[in-house]
Amino acid sequence: MKRAVITGMGVVSPFGYGIGDLTAGLDTKRCSTRYIDQWASLEGLNSKVAAPLDIKPGGKIPRKYRRTMSPMSIFAAHAAEEALQSAGVDRKQVGDNPRFGCIVGHTSGSPQTLYSAYSELIKNGNYNMFAASDFFRTISHTAVLNLAQYLGITGTVMATSAACASGLQAVGAAFDLIRTGRQDMILCGGAEELHKTVTGSFDILFAASTNYNDRPEATPRPFDRDRDGLVCGEGAGILLIEELAHARARGAEIFAEVIGFHTCGNGSHISRSDPEIMQVCMETAVKAAGMNGENIDYVNAHATGTEQGDAAESSALKSIFPEGKTPVSSLKGYIGHTLGASGPIELIASLVMMRKGVIYPTLNLDNVAEDCKGVLHVQQPIEKQIHCFLKNSFAFGGINAALVCRSY
Amino acid sequence: MTESDIITAVNEVFCEEFEVPLKELTPESQIFDDLGLDSLDVVDLIVALQKKFGVQVRNDERVREVRTLQDLYDLLEVIKREQTSA
Repeated sequence: MKRAVITGMGVVSPFGYGIGDLTAGLDTKRCSTRYIDQWASLEGLNSKVAAPLDIKPGGKIPRKYRRTMSPMSIFAAHAAEEALQSAGVDRKQVGDNPRFGCIVGHTSGSPQTLYSAYSELIKNGNYNMFAASDFFRTISHTAVLNLAQYLGITGTVMATSAACASGLQAVGAAFDLIRTGRQDMILCGGAEELHKTVTGSFDILFAASTNYNDRPEATPRPFDRDRDGLVCGEGAGILLIEELAHARARGAEIFAEVIGFHTCGNGSHISRSDPEIMQVCMETAVKAAGMNGENIDYVNAHATGTEQGDAAESSALKSIFPEGKTPVSSLKGYIGHTLGASGPIELIASLVMMRKGVIYPTLNLDNVAEDCKGVLHVQQPIEKQIHCFLKNSFAFGGINAALVCRSY
Repeated sequence: MTESDIITAVNEVFCEEFEVPLKELTPESQIFDDLGLDSLDVVDLIVALQKKFGVQVRNDERVREVRTLQDLYDLLEVIKREQTSA
């Protein structure tokens, strides 16, 4: 098997465009949750908060490519450009190279366009009013098709679709394609855009935060006694995964090595997290990495602030780290739950922590809940050298994903 | 709608939907070659014109003969008149 390393990273998050903005937000312990005025009068939508990106997508991308891009594709394009820049890879090396691939996941096609286009179609019943560009925004692989067209990618192009595990599955798929020698470089990650229907889908399942509409900065509250659900965010996280020898041959800076990945279904319940299978997923990824629990210096949890999900993840973590000495934190309190983008965005944040030798705490975790105890929760920044970390993503539908990285 | 109204409305579609500068919108401009639209854009152009003018254009065979902006102005004037009087 070949070895896969991370040589490029790019992010769009509720804090803004770029890793610099993300890091600044994390460093200053800011919560990006806001009250959304436009949702105030929506009947049945009890959660009125979200973590939006205030700066709207710019017009730097030529219209030829931008015309079929909804915000999630624009976020992916900006994140990919940052990833290429950080990797020192010129656009000319990307296009027309069958060994350069692209894998991006998200929960659905553009929810903004799905809503606007189908609202009109259902209202008028007139298919003559359906724009061609709407189709390319609503299709289930919209981000990756747009990104691949924009960059002229002719290697493997795939979309992963497993809701909140989509992005981490994309990184895992890239890892496998690199290890098996099918590709030399792959841009991979996830992208997501905010819409009332997205928050609404969690709200009807009683999974969205509803008690903090008047104090948005206090939610979400991963692992906290007073947590009441998740807050939807938006953005994109894109990494460049590269075959080690290829990276070394071009003198690339290597941020970390991907050494283990696993994804699995729980086979038990469509919306209820299964701690036993979560544990299996994490342990399998760690074992695949040739590691055991003692080798893991940090866990970047999925924990979104839901009652059941956080307790299940805590239970699984307790089983893997019975002595409770491995620091665990969730970043949802800063940037909300960016769903399909959350895995890659938080993976990149974990790589930032690795470089800085600091672990960012779980924001809004004031009192660890009884059902989340037994885990070393990080509540204040910790200075620590991270040599090896585990990143989790769990999705509705019983889909689990876990990825292990180590310093290089 | 007057001829001037039609020209203004069509030009607005090209400016707003396709980001073509107003100064480039001359009657003799070729929609593909001069204004840079392609076949995918034409689908969206038709949808945008239908919304703007409140008419049906998509299934009209005459749209295939349109080459320049003047052709489009003329066709829309005809279609608008036909569908308004129908």
